[in-house]
Amino acid sequence: MSEEVPEEFRLLCMLHNIGATKMERSLSIKEICEWTALETSSVELHLRRLVELGYVQPIEAEGAGKYHLTPNGIRKVLTLYS
Amino acid sequence: MKICMLTWEFPPRIVGGIARHCEGLARALAHSGHEVHVFTLDFPGAPDYEEIEGVKIYRTVTELGHPNFLTWALLFNHFLEKKLGYVCQQVEFDALHVHDWLTAPAGISFKYRAKKPMILTVHSTEIGRAQGLHNPDSFAIDGMEWWATYEASKIIVTSGSMKGEISDHFHLPGDKIKIIPNAIDLTRCNTSIDRESVRRRYGVGSNEKLVLCVGRLVPQKGVEHLIRAVPTISWRHPEAKFLIVGEGWLKGHLEYLARSSGHGWKIRFTGFLPDSEVVALMTSADVLVIPSIYEPFGIVALEGMAAGVPVVASQVGGLAEVVEHDRTGILVYSRNPESIAWGVDRVLSDPGHSRWLTENSRETIQKTYSWDGIAKKTVKVYKEVL
Repeated sequence: MSEEVPEEFRLLCMLHNIGATKMERSLSIKEICEWTALETSSVELHLRRLVELGYVQPIEAEGAGKYHLTPNGIRKVLTLYS
Repeated sequence: MKICMLTWEFPPRIVGGIARHCEGLARALAHSGHEVHVFTLDFPGAPDYEEIEGVKIYRTVTELGHPNFLTWALLFNHFLEKKLGYVCQQVEFDALHVHDWLTAPAGISFKYRAKKPMILTVHSTEIGRAQGLHNPDSFAIDGMEWWATYEASKIIVTSGSMKGEISDHFHLPGDKIKIIPNAIDLTRCNTSIDRESVRRRYGVGSNEKLVLCVGRLVPQKGVEHLIRAVPTISWRHPEAKFLIVGEGWLKGHLEYLARSSGHGWKIRFTGFLPDSEVVALMTSADVLVIPSIYEPFGIVALEGMAAGVPVVASQVGGLAEVVEHDRTGILVYSRNPESIAWGVDRVLSDPGHSRWLTENSRETIQKTYSWDGIAKKTVKVYKEVL
């Protein structure tokens, strides 16, 4: 992956590759931090931006916020590899 | 013939040209009486299995994940292979056709299991996409691409430039590689479109010129060079407005460039649009610019030519083979905003010449780039290795 790729996009790619691509496979911030080894503050910051851009969908599940990619988020990730 | 096709993108999972290529080819093969089974990855809203125009489509879910892309790619290949194993208990395939390295691991395993030859279409290469090999993942992908070309009995590429690129880079014998171009479904472009209403939707008035660019927002598409050409184009054509259609990781940077150009208000980014909307825009635009710096084929040029919009394209790779300079479009130097501005001006300043270009290009498309013709050539390659 190019060095120029923005940080929030790197997180988007990781979410995609982990499998958070539909509602039933949404992940909490804690789970995302465990998978990616990123700091909670950094994950929260990037997720906020990705939600604003429409690439990530937040949902309420089991009393906590969970996140998964939208179809546009998936397409955005795939542009890197195609 | 029973054909097994492996591709990581197939509609509605559309990223670049591979999805459109596989869809067009699969439909044309099915239309000519072959039994076509497409194995691909899932996408939200798309069923696990469906049959469209005789094409059987299996979408696999990757049940395991990993943050690293290459590890994920190997995992989804495992699930593709599992699905293939299941289906091949009921279907004995004659030919196995893999598209790009991404599904090659599953294809290669299946080749040995089913004892069938593998045909590989190389749509692009890592070294071309990334303009070099800059990190461990790139080197690994390059290695997998080489491995796939080695395991394939025949390789299909869509342009002469791509044949040259892979035969040099992977040291392949020339007779192993066949050139079969992309094609276009002309029926999709024949819809009656209210040009003015489409332009109004995107804020382009009837007295303004719509300059359109369609492509993934990644460095290889060279969109930044079009943005850098905007001030020069605007000086000659103050009525020009620019529409950039597509998604990609470079979007933020390109939006910043557009804002910094002093002409940001004229440049609009639409994000991803469905095929029907892209066709409507192409039919309504005054010029389609394809400023790529690397383009193995450039199916978007065919789409533009079929929609009847004059095409201004970089003289690189397959684009230089699809577009004949000053007969079916205008070729310009890649990475060169001045040259792009010259090409756009050539089209916008001379409507009579532009009409002539579009008439020629439509005739060329009908003669050379039909899916039925491409399917026949592909079947010939299958038969050579059976």
